[in-house]
Amino acid sequence: MSGARILVVDDEPQILRFLRPALEASGYAVLHAGTGHEALRLIANAAPDLIVLDLGLPDMDGKEVIVKARQFTSAPIVVLSAREREVEKIAALDLGADDYVEKPFAIGELLARLRAALRHARTGAAPKTRVEVDGLTIDMDKRLVTRDGVPIKLTPREYDLLCALAGAAGRVMTHGQILTAVWGPAHKDDTQYLRVFVGQLRNKIERDPSAPAIIRTESGIGYRFAESVQAAPTPTGQEMPVPPRPQ
Amino acid sequence: MANERNPERRPDPDALLALAEKGKRGRLLVFLGAAPGVGKTYAMLQRARLLRQEGVDVVVGLVETHARSDTEALTRGLEILPRRVVAYQDRQIEEFDLDGALRRRPKLIIVDELAHTNAPESRHPKRWQDVEELLDARIDVWTALNIQHLESLADVVSRIAGVTVRETVPDIVLRDADDIVLVDITSEELIQRLKDGKVYLPETAKLAQQKFFTLRNLTALREIALRRTAARVDDQMVEQLRQNAIEGPWETAERLLVCVGPDALSMDVVRAASRLATGLNAGWVAVTVDAPGQGDAAGKNAKHVDDALRLAQSLGADISRLVGHDLPAEILLYAQRENITQIVVGRSKAGFLVRLAGRSLSEALVRRAVLIGVHVVTGDKPRETTKHWRPGADLAQGLPSGLLAAVGSVAAAVGLGKLLDLWVRLPNLSMIFLVAVLFSAVRFGLRSAIVAGVLSFFAYDFFFIAPRYEFTVNEPHEFFALAIFLITAILVGWLAGRAHDQARLARESAQTTRSLFELSRKLSGAVALDDILQAATVYAQKTLNARCVAMLLPEDGDLILTSAWPPIDALDAGETGAARWAFEKSEAAGWKTGTLPNVRFQFRPLVTTRGVVGVCGFEPADPVAPLSPTLEHGLNLILEQAAIAIDRSILVKASVRTVALEENEKLRTTLLASLSHDLRTPLATITGAVTTLQKFGDAMPIEQRRDLLASIEEESNRLTRFIANLLDMSRIEAGALRPKSEFVDVAEIVRAAVERAGKTFAGQTFATSLARDLPFMRGDANLLEQVLFNLLDNAQKYGGGGRVTVHARRDGAMVLVSVTDEGPGVKPADLERIFEKFYRGGRADGRKTGTGLGLSISRGLIEAMGGKIWAESPAARRRGTRVVIAMPAAEAPQIAKAAP
Repeated sequence: MSGARILVVDDEPQILRFLRPALEASGYAVLHAGTGHEALRLIANAAPDLIVLDLGLPDMDGKEVIVKARQFTSAPIVVLSAREREVEKIAALDLGADDYVEKPFAIGELLARLRAALRHARTGAAPKTRVEVDGLTIDMDKRLVTRDGVPIKLTPREYDLLCALAGAAGRVMTHGQILTAVWGPAHKDDTQYLRVFVGQLRNKIERDPSAPAIIRTESGIGYRFAESVQAAPTPTGQEMPVPPRPQ
Repeated sequence: MANERNPERRPDPDALLALAEKGKRGRLLVFLGAAPGVGKTYAMLQRARLLRQEGVDVVVGLVETHARSDTEALTRGLEILPRRVVAYQDRQIEEFDLDGALRRRPKLIIVDELAHTNAPESRHPKRWQDVEELLDARIDVWTALNIQHLESLADVVSRIAGVTVRETVPDIVLRDADDIVLVDITSEELIQRLKDGKVYLPETAKLAQQKFFTLRNLTALREIALRRTAARVDDQMVEQLRQNAIEGPWETAERLLVCVGPDALSMDVVRAASRLATGLNAGWVAVTVDAPGQGDAAGKNAKHVDDALRLAQSLGADISRLVGHDLPAEILLYAQRENITQIVVGRSKAGFLVRLAGRSLSEALVRRAVLIGVHVVTGDKPRETTKHWRPGADLAQGLPSGLLAAVGSVAAAVGLGKLLDLWVRLPNLSMIFLVAVLFSAVRFGLRSAIVAGVLSFFAYDFFFIAPRYEFTVNEPHEFFALAIFLITAILVGWLAGRAHDQARLARESAQTTRSLFELSRKLSGAVALDDILQAATVYAQKTLNARCVAMLLPEDGDLILTSAWPPIDALDAGETGAARWAFEKSEAAGWKTGTLPNVRFQFRPLVTTRGVVGVCGFEPADPVAPLSPTLEHGLNLILEQAAIAIDRSILVKASVRTVALEENEKLRTTLLASLSHDLRTPLATITGAVTTLQKFGDAMPIEQRRDLLASIEEESNRLTRFIANLLDMSRIEAGALRPKSEFVDVAEIVRAAVERAGKTFAGQTFATSLARDLPFMRGDANLLEQVLFNLLDNAQKYGGGGRVTVHARRDGAMVLVSVTDEGPGVKPADLERIFEKFYRGGRADGRKTGTGLGLSISRGLIEAMGGKIWAESPAARRRGTRVVIAMPAAEAPQIAKAAP
């Protein structure tokens, strides 16, 4: 995914000061906007492949930028936000943002999120038929789930839930999004319901259900289906493979 | 079950509701007897023993054994509540200990002699009120009652037995009892027991009692008791049918109305109506009609009305007060509206003329009622009567002066007539007397007019009709003229007098309306609770002419005396108790009520739709006479107004508190967001730069690496400054800041601050302009430098990149140090606000920056050092902001002079 053009929307010049060299070192082209209006203008005119958006902008609410941007672009939006502002994050995700990263963040974590978002944007049109992670295989053509070759028996609901999560592998899904996708819009707020089903599903597919590696909890927000599982995952995710330097 | 067969037939909700309400109270069982000595106490104790054996928690609250050994034996083995000993007029009276019973809280308590009157100073005047309180506390009560003590039968019993019954129990108590046990023996047997000495009789009352215990009396009483119990059993069956939705002919369409007038007969009329209503199983309502604007004239009559209405209420009637002139019409209109089927009225002792005109109330009712039965009750002895029913009732008004005026005006008429007679012969000399009558009527009312009329008649005859100076008349036509004169005089006098009286009433009513309007305007104008209470208290005191009026409002579960007029410091224990009672039970307590009647104050609850908001108490000027209906009415209006105003004030207070809370909440959210942003941005930069260096550092050009390292250093400094600011702020707020007071060289700290700012904010130009004769100032050098640095920081932030200049000069006893920028300036309205915590100015590009703490901290520090700080804008050429610090100047230290 080298050469993708990334628009960074943040009013703090200091953030751009390290983000620009890091993104460029990863092979991306960097555009920058300091305000919401500038960002919308750039999204419309320069058609970036991905948007990194700080929710706290001087001239308008970051959420408003998402709503307006979504009217004319489907480029993934990754939101930068503070840890304690869960409501805002959920709102941003429900309004059409693809993922979020909490400030302060390690550069590796951000890059991993950007890669997942870009990959999804690329393949999103054609749904995956096969997902493999940590020895777990989901064959969507055959409706078959196996762990290390051994079939796992899932109820239809559990299977739907698994597919919904795996379909967005690497990206966060809010509780509301999952509930709407699997149970329908009427159950959008039945988070307790979802917890029970996720617990059951983890018992069936995780190696160690007490330390789930495949379905990760994004506390207060939703769940994230892991794209790959390391032997010992660290929170910063620094050991992501370094993409080749652009020449 | 009936309702299984027919699903439409559902239990009557009202009946079920009443049942549910009953479940909240204790159960009352009344042992009813026809006379003393039938064995009520014995029966009660016998049953109690059985329950005790079954393990029920039974306590004997009070039982009069009258030293009968067999009865006494029954109390053995039962828990007996100690009695309360009351000292009363050198005697020791033993009373039932209500509070003890409430503390003990048994399942069932036995309290004998329901009709007993408590000793003065007790909480309730009557024992049945004690029992009510026990029931309210969910304690079951067994009690005993003789039929003669029932309120509605008091007059019947006194007629039959020839004794006056003083201790009575309202019928409603018996009606609401959950069950009745009739204790009955034959009259002969009872008389035999009396002769055997088995019935206790106090020595003093022995004779009277023996007169009472005749076969005839006892048989009559026994019949009444049996009938009452039978009727009661009947009611119970009907009640049960209704609760279970079984169809039956229980619906009684009868509804009774009793007219209550101001004569003494009214009490008997009410009792008769009560008995009739009980017999018909009908609901009933007691109605009185007040003349509009009726003043205090009816004071004495009103007492009869009030007493009768109170009696009716205690007998279970609804009460209604109507207003109108045409009595029968008002009553019939009401009857029609309320579906009344029977009217009970006393036969008024109207005069012959009135009766001739068919104007007595009972006759008018009989004549005009349609499809309504009219019962006329007659009194058996002559009663005092007043002609309340007819207009112009207040004849007694203004008599002495009116009488004098009548005599005076007639005398003047005679004098004038004589004078005129000297010169001219007037054929219509009587006109002069008509003037006299009219004068009396207009000035002094009806009574005076009639007196004047009659006097004129005689005076005219005596002085002007031949033969003069004799009360005789010669010519027949003159006799007619005289008679016509008399009729004319009285008619004119009556008309004028009535007009006069009505004008007076209208004036009074206007006065009442005006002063009420005054109060309501005062109350609606006042929002502060104290003002409302003050206005209402003073007004109530004036209206009631009370010795004192006090308002109490609840506060943390306690009633606090919040306002009193004339002011008093505190209420005594009894008054406080009565106030509490009024507040908790939402009913009047204290003076002339059923609760703590010996308290000097009467307390009324202030009731709004949301419940009782407080209590108003008044101490009447005359502790004997009850409140007149006018005052009662006035008081109710005041209390209503006050309650609404208090309620509104409480609501306003609550809403203000909510708004304040919301503001506070908003401020906290802003503070958190600001803290979060200010702490996180440098951290994000540092973390991002460090991880970028780790990840890509090896492959990066050297300049890029240096830039990242520089950004890390800058952001670390920013974080440090911010944290230092926060700490300073909290030190200032906690009052932990102890600035030193030392001699400070102004030039030195300016130089230090500018140097530090120059390093921190590269690319910004700082200039200084210091006066030559700068004195030292008194303060804390470190803190002053910090303040200056904060000001320089602000100036570069908002100065739009222009030059920032520091000026310092002496101004009298102060040293002024100012920092001026060339930015867009601050709006005049914001010059003070910029010193508020977390206020942040906008930068040129609309971006807000900084912590919003710098100026606030600066002001805190400067003020702690005894100086002043303010902002001016525009500073020069319509641009720029200048922040000025003024510190006290200090003469150079002694050391400097001593060692030049």
